[in-house]
Amino acid sequence: MALLTPFSKVPELNTATVLLVENEEELQSKLANALVQYKKDFNVNVRLARKLPLPVENKETRPRIDLIVFVVNLLSERSLQSVESSLAHLHSDCFLGKVCFLVTDARCGSHTQERLVSVRKLAASHQCPVLCAEHRTVDGVNAAAVRLLNILKVSAGMSPIATTALYLSSLTRCSVTSDLEED
Amino acid sequence: MDAQVRSVLRRVIRRIPNKNIENLLKKWNCLSTDQLCALDYTRPKWMIVELVASFCEDNSLNLKQITNLEMMYHIENPDQGVWHACQLTEAQDDAVCVDLTQFKEQFKAHLHGVVRHISIKMKKHEDEAIWIRIAWGDNFSKPNHLKPTYVVHHLHTSYVFISNLMAKHKIFLCQALVMATKHGSIKDGHLSTRSLTGMRELLLRRYQQVFPNAHSSILQERNTLPSHPCIGKEHSGHEDMRHQMSCEAFGHGPTPKLETAVYRLETRYRGNDNQTLSDREEFFRGVVRFSSSSLLDSLRHCVASGMAEGPVTPLLSAITQRGRNYFVITDKGPSVSSQASAQRA
Repeated sequence: MALLTPFSKVPELNTATVLLVENEEELQSKLANALVQYKKDFNVNVRLARKLPLPVENKETRPRIDLIVFVVNLLSERSLQSVESSLAHLHSDCFLGKVCFLVTDARCGSHTQERLVSVRKLAASHQCPVLCAEHRTVDGVNAAAVRLLNILKVSAGMSPIATTALYLSSLTRCSVTSDLEED
Repeated sequence: MDAQVRSVLRRVIRRIPNKNIENLLKKWNCLSTDQLCALDYTRPKWMIVELVASFCEDNSLNLKQITNLEMMYHIENPDQGVWHACQLTEAQDDAVCVDLTQFKEQFKAHLHGVVRHISIKMKKHEDEAIWIRIAWGDNFSKPNHLKPTYVVHHLHTSYVFISNLMAKHKIFLCQALVMATKHGSIKDGHLSTRSLTGMRELLLRRYQQVFPNAHSSILQERNTLPSHPCIGKEHSGHEDMRHQMSCEAFGHGPTPKLETAVYRLETRYRGNDNQTLSDREEFFRGVVRFSSSSLLDSLRHCVASGMAEGPVTPLLSAITQRGRNYFVITDKGPSVSSQASAQRA
């Protein structure tokens, strides 16, 4: 089974690539536009996918992926299931700071709270951070893009202070507190 | 003008919405210019109805002219009420030679022969459609103009569109149509919708169809939004394939406007979980109903966005391929049964 590995390709100069994986394909295009248009001092390539595994035919042309973001819409059960099945296609090296979860609609309704708990447990077991985003306004999308860019900068190795992706993820990874575990 | 004529006139005028009434009255040409100028369309509806009724009394209009007005309104605004489609089958050899006058004579002659009191009006619209308005009476009573049946037929096609037909008159109408068009029989088309234009577009294939071919030329025609060169899509091949499949099943561009699709199930229950329902000899009868303001658009979006998986199931694509929206599914297999069951009124 072809797993997505983080270090199998040579990085390009002053360029970082982020892969946005979302089952509904709604937020990822808005986020992609916000990411490429934001003023920053390095190039950003964005790849959009629905789920993993990625098509084999793109393997040669695909650049090295520095950050993989799973976008989960908490209003839909299928979104979370698709992310869980995609996680199996990642090489374990990716979880050393190159995977991040982005959830939307965390404040709507009661089912979303249960799903948020499951996402947090999933992220905690994989040592990855969870970001909450508000996707219905332009400001919300831009804010999410800025946060992703900060994480991307570190995982692509462009942070001026010698911060590595692994160090950042150990600071930002999601933790499941004991009262959550009792639920 | 007697009481019946007056009541028909009032009903006709009341039913025409204010935005259409000015143009219709002008086109109708039965009121003088002074009378038309005297009408103030900003007044409440009942005032307009009273004014027009009094003008018609002054001009001593007859029932024929009033029904003409109603017919003109329906021809311009065909998407009202519920329309049903029927299909003529077993065309005889000279069916293609039937011309308009012959059709009119035969149709009227047959109906006048079987129903004693009946009023038939026929008009040919410029797009080759024949509109027929029938007010039915019976042996003892005069024709009821308050509930007319409308029939639309395009000569030399095999489809007839019917609105507001009562079950007891159905047999007379079907016989008359079959004789006048020189076909062997007529059968229920299993397609009913509120929009006559949608129904016509679907059955007469007036929407933009896409046929499967090796080159998939529709992919180049699709105007995708120009995206930033730094943004790349991993699954663009899959996306294009899904778009192609959806357009092949449901057409490209604006689709005919259908509102519902109904599947009546006469199959056995096949789940594993329920002890009481499985392993029974009788059928598990159920009805699955899809509703939408524009059903074909919604189904096309479902397939193109990936919500519905894989190749389009023949149950859904049969809506466009066979031109019907009422299906009965039996246990013989996964294919859609075309058994004619009792038509829903």
